[in-house]
Amino acid sequence: MADTMQWLDTWNDAMTSLQLLQIDPSGFGGIVVRAPYGPVRAQWLQQLGTMGLSITKLPGHLDRERLLGGIDLSATLQQGQLRWQAGLLAQADGGVVCIPMAERFPDALTAPLVQTLDTRSLPDGDHHRTAFGVVALDESDAEEATLNPALRERLGLWIDLHDIAPADIVGQAWEPVAPLDLRLSEAACEAMRQALPRVSVSDSQLSALCAAALALGITSLRVPTLALRVACAHAVLNGRVEVADEDMAFAARRVLAPRALQGPETTAHAETEPNEAPDSDTESNADERDNTHHDNGDEAPPPPVPEASSNDLTDAATPPEPTPEEILVAAALASLPNDVLDRLLTRSARSAASRTGRSGQFRTGAQRGRPLPPRPGSVGGHARLHVLATLRAAAPKQRLRSKPPSGGVAIRSEDFHVRRYQQSSASCVLLALDASGSAALQRLAEAKGAVELLLQQSYARRDSVCIVSFKGAKAELLLPMTRSLVRAKRAMTGLPGGGGTPLASGLKLAYEQAMLLQRQGITPLLVILSDGRANVTLDGLGGRTQALADAQSWCDQWRASGHQSLWIDTSVQPDPQVQTLAYAMGGRYMPMPQAHAHRMAAAMDHLRQQNRDHV
Amino acid sequence: MASTFPFAAIVGQDEMTLAIQVVAIDPAVGGVLVLGDRGTGKSTAVRALADLLPPIQVVKGCPYKCDPAAPAQACAICQDTPVAAGAKPRKRATETRPVRVVDLPLGSTEDRIVGALDLEKALSQGVKEFAPGLLAQAHRGFLYIDEVNLLEDHLVDLLIDVAASGENLVEREGLSVRHPARFVLVGSGNPEEGELRPQLLDRFGLSVQVKTPQDIDLRVAVIKRRDAFDRDPEGYKAQWQAENDRLQKRIVKARKSLDAVVVDDEMLTLCARLCQALGTDGLRAELTLMRAMRALAALQGHKKVKRDHLKAIAPMALSHRLRRNPLDDTDSSQRVKRCLDDLLAA
Repeated sequence: MADTMQWLDTWNDAMTSLQLLQIDPSGFGGIVVRAPYGPVRAQWLQQLGTMGLSITKLPGHLDRERLLGGIDLSATLQQGQLRWQAGLLAQADGGVVCIPMAERFPDALTAPLVQTLDTRSLPDGDHHRTAFGVVALDESDAEEATLNPALRERLGLWIDLHDIAPADIVGQAWEPVAPLDLRLSEAACEAMRQALPRVSVSDSQLSALCAAALALGITSLRVPTLALRVACAHAVLNGRVEVADEDMAFAARRVLAPRALQGPETTAHAETEPNEAPDSDTESNADERDNTHHDNGDEAPPPPVPEASSNDLTDAATPPEPTPEEILVAAALASLPNDVLDRLLTRSARSAASRTGRSGQFRTGAQRGRPLPPRPGSVGGHARLHVLATLRAAAPKQRLRSKPPSGGVAIRSEDFHVRRYQQSSASCVLLALDASGSAALQRLAEAKGAVELLLQQSYARRDSVCIVSFKGAKAELLLPMTRSLVRAKRAMTGLPGGGGTPLASGLKLAYEQAMLLQRQGITPLLVILSDGRANVTLDGLGGRTQALADAQSWCDQWRASGHQSLWIDTSVQPDPQVQTLAYAMGGRYMPMPQAHAHRMAAAMDHLRQQNRDHV
Repeated sequence: MASTFPFAAIVGQDEMTLAIQVVAIDPAVGGVLVLGDRGTGKSTAVRALADLLPPIQVVKGCPYKCDPAAPAQACAICQDTPVAAGAKPRKRATETRPVRVVDLPLGSTEDRIVGALDLEKALSQGVKEFAPGLLAQAHRGFLYIDEVNLLEDHLVDLLIDVAASGENLVEREGLSVRHPARFVLVGSGNPEEGELRPQLLDRFGLSVQVKTPQDIDLRVAVIKRRDAFDRDPEGYKAQWQAENDRLQKRIVKARKSLDAVVVDDEMLTLCARLCQALGTDGLRAELTLMRAMRALAALQGHKKVKRDHLKAIAPMALSHRLRRNPLDDTDSSQRVKRCLDDLLAA
């Protein structure tokens, strides 16, 4: 495939999307740009700057008043009369809102932003109308939490610039290249805006779009709607009054494809399911990749990725007379990297893992929770003014201070008191399940029962569970952090038992998950359900001694993290060796020869309570 | 005001729209919980709800939109006014206002919801006065919480309390304010992302599961309408105005005939037996069931509640009240249906 040229396609589309944004800033929600900080992204942003759109930046430390409008505190105090200031969202009307580090944008601000996008008017007060597009710059790694899903879904175009090498775009010198002249002239842009509402779409195109979305596993109806808006804008850009296949292909590539959760055919999808025992990783993977490729070729010939533009798509589509739906799916697939299905499999897990970003909300900046007495401090950032306490502090000094001319209260900045809240930190029970052959199947069933009980109890506490299982040659993340009983149940029922005991891999994965949770401000608690008979090393090879040594070193690692742990020994005869391991982790040890779901749940609950007191 | 998608133009999702209409007819049913994935039209339907409701009469100038017909439930301001204005118990001036569907976004602070000290007055005049929050705005209207399952705990506590007492009591920042806050709670969320607390679950009268239609034609129809709306919101709304008005008339008519609808003893016994068989706690389930059936009968212009009404309502009113068995995966509304079929067959 024209793999080498794929970046060019992506970059072309990224440029086109800027023009679409200029024509219709608020029509399709906006653009999610996934790219690391670097010259490629800088180049794109520079281009964005030349488009003549008003760009409003939303930094993450913004407060609600500034976002939506509110009282201008300093001006009010200075002048002794009320001064309102318009929020950034009101100012952004007709332009674009740009969120750098969007993956860290706090939920408390995302919610009103999403509401404003939905209703096209501010949530507060007089519901002032405002319509804008959002450019969300997502810098997250694959592993970390990504953009808030509610916001992400409403932004039409998703562009991933990860695979573009800086040298391709900006030349060898790493110096900024003068931006291309992409900006449409005012007159042309105005004419296009006029034409936009009159673009027509045929019924067959519409149904193809819907079918393609379904085929890619996108159930949300918002997505095809956005795709349609994008296609219309693309048609206008190219001077058409009817949406052509090329426009649909663009929408499929940049709206549908990045959200695809499954391949077009479930058979191809099933084939790439990871094998039970991936012995020779590289080889089998390569084979699989090839297979899926042939499959794709059979069912819907993916048109060769065009060299410069997507014109070829229509050409390629003519000879075998594929249905419009197939063309769209093919167009969507062609835009994805070659190992698309492999990636899709991992991505569905990843996107599930990235629950609504808790990131960026650490306990220190608690804005919610049980109120604590106010304390003197400066207002700004997340600290909110406690008005009564401020007034109270100012009251005794009124005589000393010269009264403001309007007869208000004279307040100085030293009077400021800020609100404080106590927010109890959330905790997450991290379960490491030994699903190996030695941990008898019976035990596994009991463990499942215990987790379900635990989850049921944690309704009220809003605590969550994350499950890691290890068997055979490796450990896997069975369930990313969740509070959902439904998902936990589903993940656990699908868990088969059998194989060796890669204890070290399990501990390693658990440790990594714990670090991830910690970064999100959640306290992890590790519960290991295992008999401790490690016989697979970290590298996935057999050998008891090495396996035990590996496990030992990860136990030490855990101890260094300082988080709590509980080891439930499931072997029939409690083993002193396991006890040693448990203590090496700095945790507790609990032999449970007759595993009992209720007792297990009670033990975990106890640990959690202790942890809470501790925190 | 924001322009909302016309309710009458919503395609499919019959169960959800039915539940919303039932609640619009009789707010005493106690709110709707809509569960489903993103992009199934949950928020669209709820926000469109305001279209269906006839405007209400309120005491002129009252910040809490007190009902002039029910002086006993009026807020402190309205109760004080006649005394202060003079001895003559004259009729209070009224005005008509549209019913509001108030959005409660996830990140809201307690201040925003409960109300807080009026900063404007405090700063400019040094007066301590209460500025009403979202709960006051939602009085006699609807309070819509998107992603209700992700709502912070302390906010949930707050809502549970106010939803139960119909009154918002503010004791903070030196304020001591009490005002009526009777609203219909409408929540939506995706159960995959988190569970709802049973106490809050219980506050919702009806619950419906929505799924995106898998039928291509239906999906195309949805997208066509949405597209037409996006291109020209005002024009599209005008186009559907007649249809919306018809719906509104139907609801007004149903409200009037609501009291006349008979629920006979046989139906009540059936309800009681159904609830008993399903093991739902408390009488709330039966009351909700009865009220919702009555509203549905009124909507369809019947004078008497029939078995068909029970069949349509029972899954909505009961499925979220069943005791959950962690090891049983069957859909709870299926369980209700099965149980009802058994009962009706017997």
